[in-house]
Amino acid sequence: MSELFVALTPPNLLACFAGVVLGTIVGVLPGLGPAGAMALVLPVIVKLGPTAGLIMLAGIYYGSMYGGSTTSILVNVPGEAASVVTTIDGYRLARKGRAGAALAIAAIASFVAGTFSVVALQLAAPLVARTALAFGPAEYFAFALLGVVLLANLTGGSRPKSLAMVVLGIMLSTVGMDPLGGTVRFTFEVAGAQAGLSFIAVTAGLFGVAEVLATMAAPASTAPVAHVRFRELYPSREELRRSVPPMLRGTVLGFLVGLIPGPAATIASFVSYGVEKKVSKYRDELGTGAIEGVAGPEAANNAAAGGGMIPLLSLGLPFTPSTAVLLSGMLLMSVTPGPFLLRDHPQVFWGVIGSFYVGNVMLLLLNLPLVGLFARVATIPQRSLMPGVLVLCAVAAYSDNNNPFDVWVMVGAGVLGYAMRGRGYDPAPLVLGLVLGPLLERSLLQALTIARGELSGLWSSPPAAVMLVAALVVFVAPALSALARRAAPG
Amino acid sequence: MTPPSAARRDQWTAVGLGVIALGYLLAGRRYPLDTLATPGPGIFPLAAGLALLALAVWQFLTAHRRAAAPADTSAAEAAHAPLIMSVVLVLYAAGLPVVGFLLASFALVFIAARLMGLEGWWRPAALALGVAVASRVVFVTWLGVPLP
Repeated sequence: MSELFVALTPPNLLACFAGVVLGTIVGVLPGLGPAGAMALVLPVIVKLGPTAGLIMLAGIYYGSMYGGSTTSILVNVPGEAASVVTTIDGYRLARKGRAGAALAIAAIASFVAGTFSVVALQLAAPLVARTALAFGPAEYFAFALLGVVLLANLTGGSRPKSLAMVVLGIMLSTVGMDPLGGTVRFTFEVAGAQAGLSFIAVTAGLFGVAEVLATMAAPASTAPVAHVRFRELYPSREELRRSVPPMLRGTVLGFLVGLIPGPAATIASFVSYGVEKKVSKYRDELGTGAIEGVAGPEAANNAAAGGGMIPLLSLGLPFTPSTAVLLSGMLLMSVTPGPFLLRDHPQVFWGVIGSFYVGNVMLLLLNLPLVGLFARVATIPQRSLMPGVLVLCAVAAYSDNNNPFDVWVMVGAGVLGYAMRGRGYDPAPLVLGLVLGPLLERSLLQALTIARGELSGLWSSPPAAVMLVAALVVFVAPALSALARRAAPG
Repeated sequence: MTPPSAARRDQWTAVGLGVIALGYLLAGRRYPLDTLATPGPGIFPLAAGLALLALAVWQFLTAHRRAAAPADTSAAEAAHAPLIMSVVLVLYAAGLPVVGFLLASFALVFIAARLMGLEGWWRPAALALGVAVASRVVFVTWLGVPLP
């Protein structure tokens, strides 16, 4: 636990500061989301070493949650998906002249939720890791499969499309050496492909290049930004009082949703808004500029970001694109997340957790006085920013293995991502399929070998059986409910 | 209901996914399956390929009757600039090892800026020069990334 203070060393403080500032800017700018931005800085963080590098990556991740709310409130443009809900009441509050109060409540809610989720993470992650030590290949296979099925249900849009993207990602993960026997597969004699498709190149392409191409197709206009003076940032006593219950509800809800695979931060903010619509004393005012519509969702999306770290740090299983990039960063620096992380790299584990506390304080201090500055970042024309993103993508892709083949992979992933996006296919499940593919393959084959080829070996242990049944239920439930709706009279 | 054009596009995408799955399954035939007790390197790709094929069929069949959200057609309608940019990106990947990072990145940013509507010649050129030189200084000189 004393390793928590590792976060307070000057290099780590600097890395945390750089991460949260970059994250806030990424959150403010529509388009390039946290996963894409994290992938782009991987060449930089490798030079910082494991603890500082991961602190910076994590700072970008949760910093973007803070930044996303700024443009939602001031410009009615969400910086990233998790802040979409905040536009509903946040922008209306701004139009009523309460922009400063809404921004302050958003920052306070983010701080409260972020801090709560760090405490919960600190307590829960070691417990989950200890439990996971008893997990064998069958349990890991069942858990990853459950994650994939849940993900397809929660991503939004069409389920076959989400599942197809997951499977496509899994298929791409089979390029290169197989994880058990070392057989080289699907490389078609291309020497650069033997190590497999670079995760960074695929992520940079899907989230960076595809975003630039999409912006070219439909350029977004930059909106004028309301000017907020520092003294206007004080919420009234009434606004503070009304914010507390939704903030607490959003925090707990968000943290729990964060444990579930999928775009947890986005879902958490929508769930929180839905709950406020049902239980808030002021539910009739929601949608017209109620402070509850800012406090709840903003707490929820930040708490979800913390919750999402538990499966990553304790089990080595990332269930969101951002945590997948974080996993990739860890592996680049020879740090393997999972049950042994705490034993093998306590400084990294506690250092990253400690940095969450520091980062949350930094974000609160940064976001309140500098809110106007961050909002102005949103007014930079995309035609001046996006061309540079292409070069950053190429650097990130190339520097992963110093391999020109990875630039081809980035271009291919970018064009594919753009084309699929136009047809309603979300790239996030593909990225997760790419990350979870080797784990699924390795654990499936190991479980079969241990069970001497008996398929029942996959569900012979109670935890594996429960997770497989849950996966089956989640998979068939939408079809059954649709059938029930069709069969219902009327 | 899904507009007919979107449903048709979904069907064509499903056909594309089916072709990918079949190609993958065919390419995967060269890897041995062995037995379930000692699974070979071909068994997991076989399962993944069959899963994608099944999903493509599911997608194809549901495209008719499903009342899905309409696909975003705006991107397809304004596909001129992204199409040119895609070709430029392919040329960039091919040219990077030949002409080097600085020149290739200058050309990439210049063309991208022009396609995104940055007017004139000087402003895109200045942006391209700034991005290419700054990237080289940061990544090659400061961070020691061995860019071509």
